[in-house]
Amino acid sequence: MSKRFGLVIDQERCIGCEACTVACKIENNSIEYWIQVETQKVTQKDTPSGQFPDLKLEWLPRLCNHCANPPCVDACPNEALVKREDGPVIYEEEKCDGCQLCISACPYNVILYIQEKNTIEKCNLCVHRIDKGLEPFCVICCEGQAIHFGDLNDPNSIVSQKIASREAFQLKTDAGTNPSVYYCPPKSRRRL
Amino acid sequence: MTENNEIKLIRTACPAHCGIDACGILAHVQGDRIIKLEPAEFPNKVDRRICLRGLSSLDITYHPDRLKYPMKRVGERGEGKFERISWDEAYEIIAEKLKEIAEKYGWRSIGWVLGGPGAGTTKFGAYLRLASLTQSTRVSAWGYGDAGLPCGSRVIFGSQFPYMYLFGKFWQRNWPELLVVWGANPGESMPLQTMRKIMDAKESGTQIVVIDPRFTVTASKADEFLGLKPGTDSALALGLMNLIFQNELHNIEFIRDHTNGPYLVRSDNGKLLRGKDIGDKKADSYIIWEENSNSPKAVRRKNVKSANITGTYDVNGIECKPAFQLLKDLAQEYPPEKVAEITGVDGNLITKLAKKLGTTDNVTFFTYMGFTRTYHGDISLRGLASVASVTGHVATSFSSGYLPAVLNWDPFLKAVPDKPSFHRLGILNLYEAVISGKPYPIKALWFAFINFLNQCVDCNKIINEFYPKLEFIVQTELFMTPSARYADLLLPVCSFLEFSDFVSHPYPYVQLQQKIIEPLYESKSDVNIVAGLAEKLGYGDYFKGGEEGMIDIITDHSSLEGYNRETLSKGAMLLRALPEGGNFPLNFRTPSRKIELYAEQLVEDDQALPVYLPPIEAPITPGENKYPLTFIQGHSRFRTHSMFANVKSLLELNPEPIVEINSIDAKARDISDNDVVTVFNDRARTTLKARISESVGPGVVNITEGWWIEQFKEGSVNHLTHDIVNPVQNKIYEPNMHMNDVAVEIIKYRGGG
Repeated sequence: MSKRFGLVIDQERCIGCEACTVACKIENNSIEYWIQVETQKVTQKDTPSGQFPDLKLEWLPRLCNHCANPPCVDACPNEALVKREDGPVIYEEEKCDGCQLCISACPYNVILYIQEKNTIEKCNLCVHRIDKGLEPFCVICCEGQAIHFGDLNDPNSIVSQKIASREAFQLKTDAGTNPSVYYCPPKSRRRL
Repeated sequence: MTENNEIKLIRTACPAHCGIDACGILAHVQGDRIIKLEPAEFPNKVDRRICLRGLSSLDITYHPDRLKYPMKRVGERGEGKFERISWDEAYEIIAEKLKEIAEKYGWRSIGWVLGGPGAGTTKFGAYLRLASLTQSTRVSAWGYGDAGLPCGSRVIFGSQFPYMYLFGKFWQRNWPELLVVWGANPGESMPLQTMRKIMDAKESGTQIVVIDPRFTVTASKADEFLGLKPGTDSALALGLMNLIFQNELHNIEFIRDHTNGPYLVRSDNGKLLRGKDIGDKKADSYIIWEENSNSPKAVRRKNVKSANITGTYDVNGIECKPAFQLLKDLAQEYPPEKVAEITGVDGNLITKLAKKLGTTDNVTFFTYMGFTRTYHGDISLRGLASVASVTGHVATSFSSGYLPAVLNWDPFLKAVPDKPSFHRLGILNLYEAVISGKPYPIKALWFAFINFLNQCVDCNKIINEFYPKLEFIVQTELFMTPSARYADLLLPVCSFLEFSDFVSHPYPYVQLQQKIIEPLYESKSDVNIVAGLAEKLGYGDYFKGGEEGMIDIITDHSSLEGYNRETLSKGAMLLRALPEGGNFPLNFRTPSRKIELYAEQLVEDDQALPVYLPPIEAPITPGENKYPLTFIQGHSRFRTHSMFANVKSLLELNPEPIVEINSIDAKARDISDNDVVTVFNDRARTTLKARISESVGPGVVNITEGWWIEQFKEGSVNHLTHDIVNPVQNKIYEPNMHMNDVAVEIIKYRGGG
């Protein structure tokens, strides 16, 4: 079977530090942040939900889901977006005319329009690294060791093992996109 | 030109003041420019790490605002007007001025204010060496927040730090059943060396309890969170001990073997009973009440096992109690309802935690400096350590793991063995020395790796009373910081990628901080700056080898044989492992050589026991203070103290200071999210944006430390803080700055003055 590279992001280990956000921007020399860390259930970043001292503070890093059925690829009239055999959805900037149909088609709001270039930007799963056998840069820079990379088609890979053992979920499964980015939810608390 | 396009990879280590995190960094260098940093490998793969600040280090190295050449002040102090001079002129001016001041007031009137060197060693050592040679004054920076914990640890464990006793085994990846993180937020301040381990432990089944006034990143990973009022930690400790004692869950064997709990204390004067008091020929021996013979005996290793740790005894007409009984009596005054009222923590939770601590075999307590930054922070640490001791959760030896590195500090601390060395002043004592000339006048100061005005207490006092008394101020800096503006001479220092140093972290590794590129502009490393000045003062020989020579000196210790510049240039090296079957004792260097639940040295201060004393300023009881809110300063992941506050890439994610205020307090003051507010007390005011957040409880407000003064609309965090000296800390070690023991009020900003 061919490879299907993907990520598993463990919310239990995410400390919301945004090292991934910073690392990605440096590695890809991007204008926008391709991976953004959302604080869940609140409007202001890094503020807990609930009432002191009964609180929750959980983060969800959002990035391109590298869907198995990527609507952005179908929507792009210029074939600027391509689904690679091994999983990553990549874009070729020179083919992009800034029409933003991909942005409308994406259910995850992770494709970014760059006004000054009239093109889009988004996570390309660091294909320049994975083609050399390296992990994406956000993976090696994650402070909490919360982001795992591997072949979702290989049952022995770290990502497959995490998915099997941790009730991992994908975002917006009803969109039929079958994302290659999975999340492990935080564990419930063992109160005293 | 093709040669220049080649990319070289060089390994170094980030010495930023997160200190023990000390990430290994692999620099990609093209020509003479660093194009990328990435986390370097460690012998153990899981230890590879970097943080968002380390990743952004090139934004410091290549920052457009870097100080580029030595400068002499031409405007008023604080105005920031300087003119360029040469290094030779700079050394000439400094040498002349220092000699002139030394002539008038003596060398000890010249002080070296050295901030936190982070994980670096020789940049700190070089200054100590010059201070030692000139017999001038070394100003210790422990007191700018980090002296409270050593004060408490010295009293109870006889050691500067409590770490090895409390969580050394945790650092060696021995996971406990229960981990209590008390008054620390490693999730932001030590994410890699500590927080990762906390999460590893949790993954393997450890239950996590976090005790903190703020619901921190660390708290977000806890199984249970106890949100207590700042500065009430020792009341909580006494409350826990009370329940532990009542339910007889304390570890009697551990108390007998390793604490001074069994030693008899005289009821008449609080002193420990000695052999001479009962006519024993061992005049100085401590005395126990031996169960079997029902009589007082000079303590021996064996008979202590049958010592009574409770009761009241008549010894030759002197009423005595074992020290443990006194602790028990004190704890009894803290039933859960009372502790709940003082601390704000639910009484049921306190009861559950006490039971858990007393019935769990393997408990680790993790703590750091934060909760000791209150007026009685030293006692807070003693309270925590007492809870750990009476339940037997303190390590007295290691049977596995890595032996700590011992650095050869002697040539720095005492450059000439048979001559006196430097004088020493705590940084809070420095205020008085400069302002009032006590214990002796300080007339010139050299600041290195410290943003003094920004990071030390009571900015207005520093500006109006402290700086004007100084005849000469030198500062080495990367940027025109708030402090740099007050220097008479400003010397450009280079970033960590431009010089070499020895890094003895993170445990269990040592690393080399290797120079990646030549210093930019005319900047120099602190070591080379010291060497240049030493030359002018006639001590050039002591600094001959430059950075590399200093590294060779500091690694010259038998424990570091084989660890040198050459071997370390290839990567981080593991420290030596304890031989199999080995035992590394963790001694207690207290007067009794035991864990001192009872500190005889503090009887006159009424602090022999870890008593609860309310904070000096923080308003614990509502309505009794005209400033009803407690102001605390957490740490931010976007800065290491005041470093990185001017880095654009991080400011994009975290643009400006905010004050976190609970919804109840905000509502009472008609404050909405994002409103501009003024935080004030009698000393000063600061104006910034409000963030309504449940991360702090009612009555507490938080502004993360490290923002530069000019980043506030007015004032800053340390405009609000005070320089009150705790005399007991002064006696034990040196006084701490109590940044988390400050009272304030908040109102909506009204504009103007």
